[in-house]
Amino acid sequence: MKKTLALLLISQMIFLSLMAQTLPPVDKSPMDMSYYPANYPVLKIQDKPTEPLAARVVYSRPQKAGRTIYGGLVKYGEIWRLGANEATELEFFKPVKIDGKKVAKGRYTLYAIAYESTWTFILNKDTDTWGAFKYDPKKDILRITVPAEKITEPLESLAMSFEKTTTGFKLVVAWDSVKAALPISL
Amino acid sequence: MRLTAVILSGCLFFCSCTDGKKEEKKEPVTTVSKDSAPANRTERPAVNPYNGVDVSPMDMVYYPADYPKLKMAHTLETPPLARVIYSRPHLQGRHIFHEVLKYDEPWRLGANEATELTLYKDARVLDKKIKAGRYTLYCIPHTDTWTIAINSNIDTWGLEPDTARDVARFVVPVVRTQNSLEYFTMVFEKKEAEALLLMAWDDVEVRLPFRF
Repeated sequence: MKKTLALLLISQMIFLSLMAQTLPPVDKSPMDMSYYPANYPVLKIQDKPTEPLAARVVYSRPQKAGRTIYGGLVKYGEIWRLGANEATELEFFKPVKIDGKKVAKGRYTLYAIAYESTWTFILNKDTDTWGAFKYDPKKDILRITVPAEKITEPLESLAMSFEKTTTGFKLVVAWDSVKAALPISL
Repeated sequence: MRLTAVILSGCLFFCSCTDGKKEEKKEPVTTVSKDSAPANRTERPAVNPYNGVDVSPMDMVYYPADYPKLKMAHTLETPPLARVIYSRPHLQGRHIFHEVLKYDEPWRLGANEATELTLYKDARVLDKKIKAGRYTLYCIPHTDTWTIAINSNIDTWGLEPDTARDVARFVVPVVRTQNSLEYFTMVFEKKEAEALLLMAWDDVEVRLPFRF
């Protein structure tokens, strides 16, 4: 009787642990989001947004973990998902301009191609996808090439944040010893 | 050929994730120090001047489950039905009640930014019709049930939900589990014609059913 009970308990535990394993573990490259205006959600609950909501980026943050990033993990001249896991999503809450071109409000996927001294940002309309594995250039909205700048203090985790500019704002993307910015006009 | 390699390496990646999960079951404490942001932060304090890494990492779940991977692997052409973006606090030795949450007080169902629900098409949640769009989610936990609120105040921080902007509230039963789950977890489960949004943490599970 005792044995049966023990067996039952054990099988129940195994069943439960199997159930638990179907739940998603915590990602190695955690997801994060940034808004423009910066920290909009916090400003909103404090009733002091500086200007109307304009943009949001949702991306995952791979870590350097001792690896060579540029020319290694991120190959020069090849499409890069600019993050990890789910494709990086850039949303505009109002129409904007990038490189003089009108971009309608809505959700987009952001990719990049890194070169040694420049980065090409790619805004693509194929959303809700994974990485850059199914990247389709036919769905590009625009491409813009910007300078790649060196930063002195290398960053362990990929970081994205919006900064105000004279004509609007820019999305600063920084990882390891390089940063580049996507300029956006309002 | 290249795609095959990509899918293969993708499979390996998923396998390694599963291994990590198994470890978590056996030695939750080890996993916390290995896997979570706070441990990294202690070793390398404030090195990221652009955007620090959150203690409670953000995550995203779709319905159909794993939609982006399915889309990548099988050229799935139908649009997704729902998505949740939430942050994942972890127990770190605490119990969900009362060390983290209090009964009958609102909880943001996550951390940091308010938990966001996107419905890509109109849905029926229990007895109510909810239009396609973006919403925030929060809950009010009770001992045997949780009240789940769908709210129209979006792009906001999770504290202080604006209850006046509730679109609908639902009461769902609590299921107690034998195991304790270290990280707060949300995931869509398919059950016959329904998508159940599972909200699980410590030894508590609640499910909110959606029909599309």
